[in-house]
Amino acid sequence: MKPTITGQPLARIDGHAKVTGAARYSAEVQISGVAYGVLVTSACARGRILAIETNDAEREPGVLAVITPKNALRLPDTKVPENDRVVQVLQDDRIVYSNQPVALVVAETLEGAMHAALLVKVHEEKEPATVRLDDEIKNAFEPEPQSASGKKSADQVRGDPARGLREAAMRIDETYQTPYETHNPLEPHATTAVWNGPDRLTVYDATQGVFGVRKKLAKMFALPTGNVRVLTKFVGGGFGCKGTPWSHVILAALAAKQVGRPVKLVLTRPQMFGMVGGRPLTRQRLSVGANKQGKLTALRHESVSTTSRFDDFLEPAASVSRHSYACENMATSHRLVRLDIATPTYMRAPGEATGGFALESAIDELAHALKMDPLALRLASYAETDPTEDKPFSSKSLRKCYAEGARRFGWAWNKRSPARADGMLVGVGMATSSYPAYFSKAEALARMLPDGTALVTSGAVDLGGGTYTVMSQVAADAIGLPMDRVRFDLGDSEMPEAPRSGGSQTAASCASAVLLAGRALRDKLVRMAVADAGSPLLGARPDEVLIENGRMTANGRTDSFADVVKRAGGAPVEERARAGPDEARKKWSLHSFGAQFVEVLVDPDLGHVRVKRLVGVFAGGRILNARLARSQLMGGMVWGIGMALHEETVYDEKIGRIMTRDLADYHVPAHADVQVIEPYFIEEEDVHVDPAGVKGIGEIGITGTAAAIANAVFNATGKRVRSLPITPDKLL
Amino acid sequence: MIPVTSVKTLPEAYALLQARPPGLRVLAGGTDLMVAINARVGLDRIGHVLDIWNVRELRGIALQDNFLRIGALTTYTEIIHSTLVNTQLPALAAVSREVGAWAIQNRGTLGGNVCNASPAGDTLPLLLAADARFLLGGPRGERTVVAEEFFLAYRKTALGADELLLRVDFPLPDAARLAYRKVGTRRAQSISKTLIAVRATPGLREVRIAAGCVAPIPLRCRRAEQAAMSGGDVRAALQLDISPINDIRSTIEYRRLVSANVLLQLLKNMGTPYSLPGRP
Repeated sequence: MKPTITGQPLARIDGHAKVTGAARYSAEVQISGVAYGVLVTSACARGRILAIETNDAEREPGVLAVITPKNALRLPDTKVPENDRVVQVLQDDRIVYSNQPVALVVAETLEGAMHAALLVKVHEEKEPATVRLDDEIKNAFEPEPQSASGKKSADQVRGDPARGLREAAMRIDETYQTPYETHNPLEPHATTAVWNGPDRLTVYDATQGVFGVRKKLAKMFALPTGNVRVLTKFVGGGFGCKGTPWSHVILAALAAKQVGRPVKLVLTRPQMFGMVGGRPLTRQRLSVGANKQGKLTALRHESVSTTSRFDDFLEPAASVSRHSYACENMATSHRLVRLDIATPTYMRAPGEATGGFALESAIDELAHALKMDPLALRLASYAETDPTEDKPFSSKSLRKCYAEGARRFGWAWNKRSPARADGMLVGVGMATSSYPAYFSKAEALARMLPDGTALVTSGAVDLGGGTYTVMSQVAADAIGLPMDRVRFDLGDSEMPEAPRSGGSQTAASCASAVLLAGRALRDKLVRMAVADAGSPLLGARPDEVLIENGRMTANGRTDSFADVVKRAGGAPVEERARAGPDEARKKWSLHSFGAQFVEVLVDPDLGHVRVKRLVGVFAGGRILNARLARSQLMGGMVWGIGMALHEETVYDEKIGRIMTRDLADYHVPAHADVQVIEPYFIEEEDVHVDPAGVKGIGEIGITGTAAAIANAVFNATGKRVRSLPITPDKLL
Repeated sequence: MIPVTSVKTLPEAYALLQARPPGLRVLAGGTDLMVAINARVGLDRIGHVLDIWNVRELRGIALQDNFLRIGALTTYTEIIHSTLVNTQLPALAAVSREVGAWAIQNRGTLGGNVCNASPAGDTLPLLLAADARFLLGGPRGERTVVAEEFFLAYRKTALGADELLLRVDFPLPDAARLAYRKVGTRRAQSISKTLIAVRATPGLREVRIAAGCVAPIPLRCRRAEQAAMSGGDVRAALQLDISPINDIRSTIEYRRLVSANVLLQLLKNMGTPYSLPGRP
């Protein structure tokens, strides 16, 4: 049946609850008898806790406990699950980064806990520390294959890149750098932990994945997985930092156990700089060669990124070069450097955002050197099949994205745009966007209630992008009900398991499961009707039953879902389904693609860059809701402006502490920085990617943006900025 | 726990000032002090807080004897919406719009900006260029200090330990125009990299120039003024006035170059009454 509700540009169904405050975020969960936890964090970047003076804090009225490594409950297991981040949970006296948790004050009130936390005095023994890449780059090492890069090895070679470079008519060999960045979702990390008896734990957590939180808590507290329940109904942005449970989640549960009360622990904005991850610094060398016609003869992409002393996170920056352009001779490599920083993590298109800046800048440099339109150069090496994996793309509409973007933008390439009458320099630039189409195992439960409404559940998380809404749309079509008779619920580890909302995979994975569960439920109801002596449809063939708005019709006779359920005794009728990648999917290379075009104005006196217009055209498979998808892409493109012009986590390199620890000094774009942003789609029918035909659009919006802006800045000023962000001082 | 005394009248405030409790800090809108306390900066130096937020006589805007008189507790929001300020000193309304976000503008006060004396204080170069006078008061009486003599060293002012800033008075000379430009990394809610204010009469016969973020104090730039009035090399002269540093917001080179670029722009455009945050 052709979907009629899926794809419609409906307003988000939780919008009213959000703007009226009825939507409860994790920090707003009301639990009777709750106590409040406030963290105390380390000053130095490496060393040992010598002593912690807690007497003054403990004497304050209402203080229940000051938990330090000395008196903290010992966890049964301090190892974290595989592919999860190492945490610092007051089990030893080591300091491994600045702003690490070293004590936790628990009090009757938040104000009491905040005040008492100020009275805790930590004595640290400092050891030499460095947060400078250059100090440790000699110790760069090849990381183990990681899941972020699809378990692919750090290095890949194809053909003979050295020869390809030698034989090129034109070569670019440049180094690009992207800085440390910090996610900064509006909603702070927040955890409320409630023990129901000695071995049953319920946690309300601001997370991108309830099952990951459950797994880690169960492991570290040695509980059966089924004894831990994790809930998150609304999330105010994650961008990756809520993808894995960090120290404070474990500490909230530890404190609740230790004081025998539910404990709520909310991080302050400054505490979100470090202990909950961030984007690592990357330094990337691009060696690209092309013949006179602009066809690539060699592409070498070598990336070094930073991680902590105690855990490996790899930013797969060079991966984007493996799938982007047709080229016989390619080499990509990744190296890690350990520094005295907190472990970085996935942030806003990890790999593609950072690697895309380097690759798409280098392509622009090559085009400039060849005096070619950079769009023409990209088309000259258009990859019809995946150049590394020798596989066809499941679908690829990049050519259409280029054409549509160029048409909408009015792309007319000039070597140098003329300045305006008021002296402002004008520049245009473009870049390719891409992001892998991830699809993970997901389950959903669809249930028909006696009143003829359906309740569909899957334990996914809505980060704010509209999961509640689009899953309701998919479910309504699959079952055959109008939107207002379907309720979709999520965010509870008691529900069927769904993957973490990361890697732009929720729409693809969860919608596929919802689709299969909804269809299974519909088919079951039809089978019940045609076999039911009380049904007007008795004896009809299931395949001749038409379904619309909860009514089944065949041969002029009708029955309703509600009546089927009632006649069967009134108990809800349900079906559960599982979706996940199969062997056939491995035959394809699966990516979303897009193209971004940008016009900038540069003030030659101040070095200020103004993004006047940003046009993006994206092909991400089926679009489940054009209105929400547009918002999602617009958000990604705004973050792209932030990445290009503003965002940088600055360390004091002498003491290893982050200096930009609030939103006054860590700049994200203000409203006044954002002018015209126009996201568009190319719709694709992709039957290979997943049952829902969705490739995911959560992250592609930020990929390519920074390069497009940097390329436009070059077009305006003749200055090539290879180190983000493009702050005014770099242009004067 | 830090003791707090909240007062509603000046005599009450003066009584506490006379007692001079150690570590006394005055709390106006709290947009600096509360942030510092929250960040645990200098906590051990705060012994007692005098909260003057409710002292009504320190609020209000009036025009008197060709002076615009603004009470020290007047908030940025009040300044932004004042008809008097918008007609008599529009640059002050404009700079107030560029201070922080709405929440800051609702609580932050002109007097607080002066007494906090940050070299990055947004209004301070404007006060220097406008030749503002500060009325100070305390148990020993009242006195007036001109803006230029108020800022002594990094975050050190002429305010006595037992004094409050009561009012800021702006002379309104005929034909003089006041303009400023703030330069940050983004277009709003940005702490400045440099900030230049200029007051000039037609033909640049009388010029007063001041700058922020380019010295330990908000700075009057006398060499640049001389150069502007005598047709000299303003760019070179300004370099002798200012002594910027590298910090997380900017670099020495950027501050030197852009301060001069902005100053030249402002002098060139003195025909417009004040400058808005930037071009499109």
